[in-house]
Amino acid sequence: MAHLNVSDVTLSFGGLKALSNVDMKIEPGLITSIIGPNGAGKTSMLNCISGFYHPTQGNIFYKEKELTHASPHEVSNMGISRAFQNLELFSGLSVLDNLLLARHQNLKYSFFHAVWFYGKASRVESENRGYVEDVIDFMELEAYRKSLVGNLSYGLQKKVEVARALTLAPDILLLDEPMAGMNQEEKEDIVRFVMDIQKERHITVVLVEHDLGVVMDISDRIYVLDFGEVIGSGTPEEVAADPKVIEAYIGED
Amino acid sequence: MSANTWLATGNFFTTYKQEQRTFLTSLDRTFFTFFLVILFGWPLIFELGNKNMLVIDNILIAIVAVMGLNLVTGFAGLISIGHAAFVGIGAYTLASFSRTLGDSHVLITHFWPVMIILSGVMGAVFGAIVGLPALRLKHLYLAIATLSFQMIFEWTIQFFTFFNQGQTIYIGRVAWLTGQVGRKDHYLFWYFIILTIVVLLGFGIRNIMKTRYGRSLVAVRDNDRAADAMGMNPGLTKVYAFALAGFFAGVAGALHAYVYRGVGFESFTLHESIGYLAMAIVGGLGTLNGSFWGPVAIKFLDLQVESLAEISGQYLPSGMNIATALKPLTFGLVIVLFLMFEPRGIANWWRITKSYTKLWPFRY
Repeated sequence: MAHLNVSDVTLSFGGLKALSNVDMKIEPGLITSIIGPNGAGKTSMLNCISGFYHPTQGNIFYKEKELTHASPHEVSNMGISRAFQNLELFSGLSVLDNLLLARHQNLKYSFFHAVWFYGKASRVESENRGYVEDVIDFMELEAYRKSLVGNLSYGLQKKVEVARALTLAPDILLLDEPMAGMNQEEKEDIVRFVMDIQKERHITVVLVEHDLGVVMDISDRIYVLDFGEVIGSGTPEEVAADPKVIEAYIGED
Repeated sequence: MSANTWLATGNFFTTYKQEQRTFLTSLDRTFFTFFLVILFGWPLIFELGNKNMLVIDNILIAIVAVMGLNLVTGFAGLISIGHAAFVGIGAYTLASFSRTLGDSHVLITHFWPVMIILSGVMGAVFGAIVGLPALRLKHLYLAIATLSFQMIFEWTIQFFTFFNQGQTIYIGRVAWLTGQVGRKDHYLFWYFIILTIVVLLGFGIRNIMKTRYGRSLVAVRDNDRAADAMGMNPGLTKVYAFALAGFFAGVAGALHAYVYRGVGFESFTLHESIGYLAMAIVGGLGTLNGSFWGPVAIKFLDLQVESLAEISGQYLPSGMNIATALKPLTFGLVIVLFLMFEPRGIANWWRITKSYTKLWPFRY
């Protein structure tokens, strides 16, 4: 049984079919990439999984739970977290606060504990801070802990975005183009982080990416989308040899 | 580890618990304690008349209300134009007890702390109900939904005979350990009570902001899409923000009723709502100390304008009542000037002053 099972998902906006009859199986512990030309429906797919869109047809299962019609916070509480393509950070807050925010559901104390603060809330908060510091360590953000997110460079903000999704302690991490708009060095950095996330933290990664070099190098499975349809899937070698994929990317001769 | 706990020369924290402290150095804590002692002590040394004490009580009540408004508008970013109506809910909770049980029933006179909390809870309940549109509406549309609550409140109070159609409903004198609080000590007594409540609620907000209940408010303000993805229910968080603001307003309302020893509809009109909003803006939205600066600044401005009008009244023909014209004029002018030149309010001046004193007397 696959970890995350997307079966026969169709998403239409009026007459436009962003996704049609998509089937996907995300296996645990692997890096699964979704690639495709612009407007192929990659982000729509992620939006369906993370609950921002609800498929018009078909369903999505995570383990035994159905999340076809779940809202985003329900999905994230099931253990699927997401980093956005266009930065959706809390720009008025520090890096630390951004990450602390992501721990929201993992903090168990009541409102009255919070008002009194000393005792349970204080203890839980300092444990929580320890967890966040661990992620900061992992993502090498120590130097920027206290700086406002809005003042950081684009590359760093992307890194904070990934770190924040990681702070939710997910089983599945959805990364929406974490390397878009980055230079070579930053890209290599992020690739290393993605691989570490899989190997050290044992998190299943779903990656949406345009850089084919990166995708071919690190993915275990690849799904190729074009005009909302899956046109090829398998290991990187299988996909690279698939005539339909070559046609979608390079065109017919 | 620095041995000097009085003047921190850097970050010497060794545990995360140390970083949670409200006062980072002993100096800060001592200053604050000293300040509190002065606040509680001065009325015992200088005796102000009832008239002046009433003004101070009034400011403190406004501080309680504005702290609530700052939570919903400043921290959670939801504009509420119905805040005076929430204050009114608190006051009329007390008034309905007075109407049904009589204005000097033991519940009102002896169990006033319970009544104050009860009024707060009523405010919170109504806050949650009025906050429900926040599940669907955003920004300006939400503001209009709160405005409609203000209108419904005013109409209800003026229509029902149970509420004396907006005419004053009397509240009896309260009792303290030493017996009934008399006419002479009334305002002084309530000064101490309200000051205590302000300090408690202030620390409450300080603590909440360090926990998930405070952070979720800021999260829905900054980016409610991302807040959703981070596992908070943005709709419920907004309703909760309104409930919290309603609680503060309800407490302020009960205090208002007790201090004035009566509840009348004219203290909870739309004009007052805008006033609270102005205090929050002038003080500084999204800051705790802004909730203190704002009411003080606006109420003192009011007083100054009144005395200016009195002086000018001696030179102008008696038919011209300059006070009625000057008040809204200065009020509007102050808001516009603040929005233009210091949208972060007086709290920002305070921040700048603090950072200057860090540099100038060579604290490090």
